[in-house]
Amino acid sequence: MEIIIDGKKAAVQEGETILQAARRNGIDIPTLCYSDALPGITSCRICMVEVKENGVTKRVASCAYPVHEGMEVTTDNETIRRTRNVLLNLYSARVPHNKDIKALKEKYDVPEIKRLQVNKGETHLAENCVLCGLCVKACEEMGTNAISTVFRGAEKKVGTPFDEPSDSCIGCGACASVCPTEAIQMTQENGVRTIWDKTFELIQCKECGKYFATAQEIAYVKQKIGNDMDMALCEKCKQKGNAAKFKEALKAELDI
Amino acid sequence: MESKKTILVCCGTGCLANGSQKIYDAFKEQLKALELDVELIPDVKGTGCHGLCQKGPLVHILPQQITYVHVKDSDVPEIIAKSITNNEVIDRLLYFDAQQKAKVQSKEDWTFDKKQMRLALRNVGHIDNESIDDYIERDGYKAIAKVLKNMKPQEVIDEMKHSKLRGRGGGGFLTGLKWSFAAKAEGSPKYVICNADEGDPGAFMDRSVLEGDPHTVLEGMAICAYAIGANRGFLYVRDEYGLAVKNMKKAIEAAKKRGFLGENILGTEFSFDAEIVRGGGAFVCGEETALIASIEGKTGEPVQKPPFPADKGLWGKPTIINNVETWSNVPLIINKGADWFRSIGTENSPGTKVFALVGKIANTGLVEVPMGITLRELIFDIGGGIPGGRKFKAVQTGGPSGGCIPESKLDLPVDFDSLTAEGSMMGSGGLVVMDDRTCMVEVARFYMQFLYGESCGKCAPCREGIKRMLEILGDICEGRGQEGDIDLLLEMGEAIQESSLCALGKTAANPVISNIENFREEFEEHIKNKRCPAGVCKDLTEFYVDAEACKGCTLCAKRCPVGAISGEKKQLHVIDSEKCTKCGICIDSCKFNAIKVK
Repeated sequence: MEIIIDGKKAAVQEGETILQAARRNGIDIPTLCYSDALPGITSCRICMVEVKENGVTKRVASCAYPVHEGMEVTTDNETIRRTRNVLLNLYSARVPHNKDIKALKEKYDVPEIKRLQVNKGETHLAENCVLCGLCVKACEEMGTNAISTVFRGAEKKVGTPFDEPSDSCIGCGACASVCPTEAIQMTQENGVRTIWDKTFELIQCKECGKYFATAQEIAYVKQKIGNDMDMALCEKCKQKGNAAKFKEALKAELDI
Repeated sequence: MESKKTILVCCGTGCLANGSQKIYDAFKEQLKALELDVELIPDVKGTGCHGLCQKGPLVHILPQQITYVHVKDSDVPEIIAKSITNNEVIDRLLYFDAQQKAKVQSKEDWTFDKKQMRLALRNVGHIDNESIDDYIERDGYKAIAKVLKNMKPQEVIDEMKHSKLRGRGGGGFLTGLKWSFAAKAEGSPKYVICNADEGDPGAFMDRSVLEGDPHTVLEGMAICAYAIGANRGFLYVRDEYGLAVKNMKKAIEAAKKRGFLGENILGTEFSFDAEIVRGGGAFVCGEETALIASIEGKTGEPVQKPPFPADKGLWGKPTIINNVETWSNVPLIINKGADWFRSIGTENSPGTKVFALVGKIANTGLVEVPMGITLRELIFDIGGGIPGGRKFKAVQTGGPSGGCIPESKLDLPVDFDSLTAEGSMMGSGGLVVMDDRTCMVEVARFYMQFLYGESCGKCAPCREGIKRMLEILGDICEGRGQEGDIDLLLEMGEAIQESSLCALGKTAANPVISNIENFREEFEEHIKNKRCPAGVCKDLTEFYVDAEACKGCTLCAKRCPVGAISGEKKQLHVIDSEKCTKCGICIDSCKFNAIKVK
């Protein structure tokens, strides 16, 4: 089916969100809490677009709003810009030194609202978390549920239960890898990974020797998929191995 | 033969807090001890709220229709001796009606009651809330019987659609239309939920219905369950409502025993069961998706709509959520018909609405009026106006998400659309009246403070935006307001409205925006001249005694808790600004309006 995005016709698929359709059509919409793998959080609200359908105009979160035949979408107008400007200023008031928010402000030419940037002492200068919730969703999808948001409103934060090292954490680092503002500290030194106040011994790839996963992570995945396959290869070496196998198989096929 | 007498003792939360349980017990005990003639044994009933909580505890005697106010347990022997055995009326216990300037015998004749029309509250105060027989006597469970015997599910939905009943929780969505979505939606089982997470400051409409007439809610839910094909219902009641939970539990048990709930209701194929879920004290759980999350055992946070609960609600299944007051209207519409219902109220907002009248108003309490009545009638005729000789300044409708409406707009009809057009909203029915001693900047700050504590924090505009708006409002109230703050508040308010995830955030800025629109000069006075004209913001207030008005009565000096006022009898009094804590007691006590704000 077809919709109109910013005045241009765009072919879209049923079941897609406006964001997916726009991005596939090369139209840029900013996001913080969105990931293709973990959609539907809808907390960051910077992907708001204007939708006109059935004679009604409304502003919706493009990351969760499904496309409908004939709808008209505007991704940039005065209201959307005004809203985004305030929002990005609110973000930078929360995390004044975060480079990702700074970059977004620059990219969208957001004027500084100085009144909001007064640091009243409550903001930790090291704060980088914008509470988008992607890390929590990633951990939930992993099935580990080691972290969650705690408290509510302005007090809200992400953490392990009682801020203690969590028994459920397998040190996979999925949370850190999906974080849009690099707010989760994960360090790796001499074969030891530290995250959420817990240390994990890393396993070396038996092919290239690179540390690539924690022992707990490998054990967890093995138990989850229920077999004992060899998992001592890092992602790169696994790909290499697969490529080599494929090559041989192809060769054999061609030789016949 | 003398007809049997009934003594109705209000046992709603308001009257209970004022000691009505003692009165109820005293009546029971003393009547038993007196061993009155069998024909005369009066029936004592603990009932739900009669409405005029400020005058509680209330005792109403039938059939003479005598209403006593501010009753104490020590009054019981006299009431029995005079009013029960002798049909005498005790003048000193009657209500003084300020509008009629006279004592009035029956609450039916109070000005407070005259403009009211009680549909949702039809049984509240008239029946013993623990008696299913009382409910049945007043047409209770007649509607579910009618529906099960004579109507197909689609006919029930058509009737509800035709009634144009709109959701009384605040959204104002057409109830019948919502039901039709759930009936059509794929997925099984389906669920019915009663939203009783009433959380607006000062609002207690739903509490009253749950406490005083729990069966009507159960009946409404059962009718909906039949119409959409559900068999299970939940009542999500805020945890603070202890009495409501208690009464509702008893009602569920009684209804099950009589076959109005449970398997094969009234011998038909239809089964429906309901249970109570107690809320955890979060305001946001009044938002339907957050409420559903809470019932599921998750953190009470809203999720993006669509999909709407009617399509995918509780555990991903089609779910109808309606507010207590909405449920209470359902059996009535079925019994009396949609056409009858539409003859009340306005074209697009038929029926009545219950309001909790609170704040600076003479008659604090619960009222139910036909839609379309003006705010002026509500506040001055029913509410009795502003006490203490002060002037009306604004009325806040719709709870923390509503806006403040000034004097100039008091002739606005009360219905869903008119209030929204004025930047306020109907909301669930909270109505807070403010007098001229109210600072509108401080009011805006108060509501922001409330929402700051209640925002769930899931989405950024609500969480961060309210926090920053509250900071700016605090600055203005404490003398740190800057030029440009008003425009910035409006700009932020718009952004929060535009981009928040749920209705809490989308409406959070309403009190600020409407106060700026209607009382902008008050904000400017705070920012530019560092002065609070209402004399509320302590850092921006200085009181003085007006030399011409002061009669030297010494009352202010006596009342001042810090001894800041001095002056001889019949001489001009003086306030020592150094000592003064700006509590405002002097202003409120001066009968000559001689204390002024500099």
